[in-house]
Amino acid sequence: MSNLKVSRREALGSVAGLIAGPGLSGVEGPGLSAVEGPGLSGVEGPGLSAVEGPSLARGQVAKGTPPPRRPPRDELVNALEFEDVAKLMLPAAVYSTIAGSDRAAFDRITFRPRMLVPTLDLDLSVDLFGEKHLAPILVGPVAEQRQYHAEGELATVRGASAAKTGVIVSSRSSVPIAEIAAQAKTPLWYSVYAADASARKQVDQAIAAGCKVVCVTVGASLDAGRATSKVPADWKAVDRIRQGLDLPIVIKGVMTPEDANAAIAQGARGIVVSNHGGVVAGRAPLEVLASIVDLVGAKITVLVDGSFRRGTDILKALVFGAQAVLLARPVMWGLAAYGAEGVQSVIELLQTTLGRNFGMIGAPNLKSLNRAMVKVHAERKT
Amino acid sequence: MGTIDNRWRHGPTRRQALLALAGMLAGSPLLRAQRDPHPITGHKRVPGLDEMMTAFDFEPICFANVVLARYEYMARASESEFTLRRNREAFEWVDLVERPGAATAALQTSTEVLGIKMDFPIMIAPTAAQRDLHPDAESAMYQGASAAKTPMIVVGRSTIPIEKIAQAATGPRWSQFYPVQDLKISRETIETFQAAGARALVVTVDQQTDTGYERDLHNRNLGGTPRGASGGRGGGAPEQGRGGRGGGSAAPAPMQGPALYRVIPARLWYTWKYLDDIRAFTKIPILLKGILTAEDAKLCVERGFDGVIVSNHGGRSMDYGPSTLEVLPEIVDAVGGKIPVLIDGGFRRGSDIVKAMALGASAVCLGRAPRWGLGAFGPQGVQRLLEILQAEFLEAMARTGRTTLAALDRRAVRVNFT
Repeated sequence: MSNLKVSRREALGSVAGLIAGPGLSGVEGPGLSAVEGPGLSGVEGPGLSAVEGPSLARGQVAKGTPPPRRPPRDELVNALEFEDVAKLMLPAAVYSTIAGSDRAAFDRITFRPRMLVPTLDLDLSVDLFGEKHLAPILVGPVAEQRQYHAEGELATVRGASAAKTGVIVSSRSSVPIAEIAAQAKTPLWYSVYAADASARKQVDQAIAAGCKVVCVTVGASLDAGRATSKVPADWKAVDRIRQGLDLPIVIKGVMTPEDANAAIAQGARGIVVSNHGGVVAGRAPLEVLASIVDLVGAKITVLVDGSFRRGTDILKALVFGAQAVLLARPVMWGLAAYGAEGVQSVIELLQTTLGRNFGMIGAPNLKSLNRAMVKVHAERKT
Repeated sequence: MGTIDNRWRHGPTRRQALLALAGMLAGSPLLRAQRDPHPITGHKRVPGLDEMMTAFDFEPICFANVVLARYEYMARASESEFTLRRNREAFEWVDLVERPGAATAALQTSTEVLGIKMDFPIMIAPTAAQRDLHPDAESAMYQGASAAKTPMIVVGRSTIPIEKIAQAATGPRWSQFYPVQDLKISRETIETFQAAGARALVVTVDQQTDTGYERDLHNRNLGGTPRGASGGRGGGAPEQGRGGRGGGSAAPAPMQGPALYRVIPARLWYTWKYLDDIRAFTKIPILLKGILTAEDAKLCVERGFDGVIVSNHGGRSMDYGPSTLEVLPEIVDAVGGKIPVLIDGGFRRGSDIVKAMALGASAVCLGRAPRWGLGAFGPQGVQRLLEILQAEFLEAMARTGRTTLAALDRRAVRVNFT
């Protein structure tokens, strides 16, 4: 009798189990709840996994995903990866001011590397207006850096100094220039907008703080993101800023050989081929660089900016004859992600990959580069 | 309870009724809802060698057979891997010009390169760490290659001694060699290769420094290359044992040359003079592997070398370097037929090989593809993969209407390089 009872219970239990899920345990466990809840609808969907999985309680899922993890700085292997972390750290509206890259021009240029050229005496250093720089890299001017990190420009300058790299400070910095200069161990340049009425006053303060070069931005208005003022209108302003100034002047925002000539006529000792980070639409600075270098490269220093993200990108600009490259967004990604240490990491990563690719292309220094080392490919019609 | 009730409660009839109920419930949609309609255990299996139809089919099997980090070791390339991708893309920029008039049976595909006769213009390129793929490593590769009558270039730093590999099979064999600054060691190594029966020496001249394998750096916590071994990390030159990037004053960095930029000096010492020096160490032909420009190819000819291999190390040398196929014509023109021009880089189909032959290559070397064969099915996998490519080569060549390799000229392809 008793045996029979046990088998009866077992039989009923198996029946229930068959209904509810895999085996008897299913009666007590998530199997049954799956039948009651999403299990039924889950024939094709997540119900099934709820039965088989080791039980993600439904309550947990409903609470939403956990906050994303900020990877240790050590895990990032190239400058582009800092953008993801910056995005993680910043409000969307702030991140949008430093988001993205335009890589198309870089992807149309391949190298022609030469073998069996010894490069053990690798030397990337470059002389800019009498100052020796470790590598042909400068931190470009970016306004209001406190929006990216609590320490703002102070962290940028500390990180850049640790990476032995000069910084161009924007006149619209969120920290006074004197405080920034107090933290700097590498040359500081100062950047003003030609369209800014108080530019000359700002320049005087920067000179007092020890800035070595004045960079005047033309062709872009004070409202970042808009290109309203025309370049020719800015030349008069440049002339006003230049009056009685001893420091070298660099004009930033030149995109044509004509403007490069005009910059020389204004007494500039250098230009930055730039479309203000893509704010001004049209061709990429890298695409117009060669023609500008051909015209004015022998007379003045030609710098360039615009979506430089990899060591190979910088090498391409140097092959075309640029003396140095300005990095803005990648440095801000580093700043937003990890403060001064992030700035240092981004710059050092680029120095290292640049150095490595000098070895790969067979050039021990900037002087050994020549245009036969690249091939520019036409845009491929699809 | 009466007798009839008791009989019902304990009798077989009731049991039958319960069974029927159970049967009904067992067939209910509720139960089906709990069952995986396609349980993975029901259809999980490894495809067999006889199911391999293209070279690509071997890769997932090889992937499944080896540890992830060792698979990545061969799959990866430099930095952004632009050149790795471009190697494959370039085949899409070259079309075969079809012409009737050649049956596959009538095709003459045999050729001779530096004294080695081969049925097809196909060779095995030298690749490192073949023991990751098969316990018999280079010996297994050699057996598979010889079975498919394909000459093999044995990697210099093989995981099995060259003398032992030499006994594994009988097919023609070259040896690869990485320059070593010490000329005495260079001479000894080259003499060892020659004594073991190498019929030519392939000197790798590219990949001058560490190549910044970003995949490795990402995988370094998954049993990949230990931190620093692949270098390329901003900050802290690995040999200095610095823990992290950008530690500032953590170690006194030597203030000159590559170390100033945390670049590993590795092979930055390479010179043409060294190549001239080792040229005298052996009488067998010497080919330089890693040539990507007409200028360097001309230097090879001028300095008396016997062949060039157009190679970007499978995308593992300079990132944003060219694909090998797009620079092949300029190198073939520069050499002007004086020495053979071989090529490697992304060859996966018979038609890829036909395209390179039409653009003037003397033969094509395969790196990753036979590794997939070896990792997937051992020597038989290598043999089968090569036979698939040979059959594809015949089909593609027949489509061009050419019956001999000599007739396979540039008019057999339409080139759309930019």
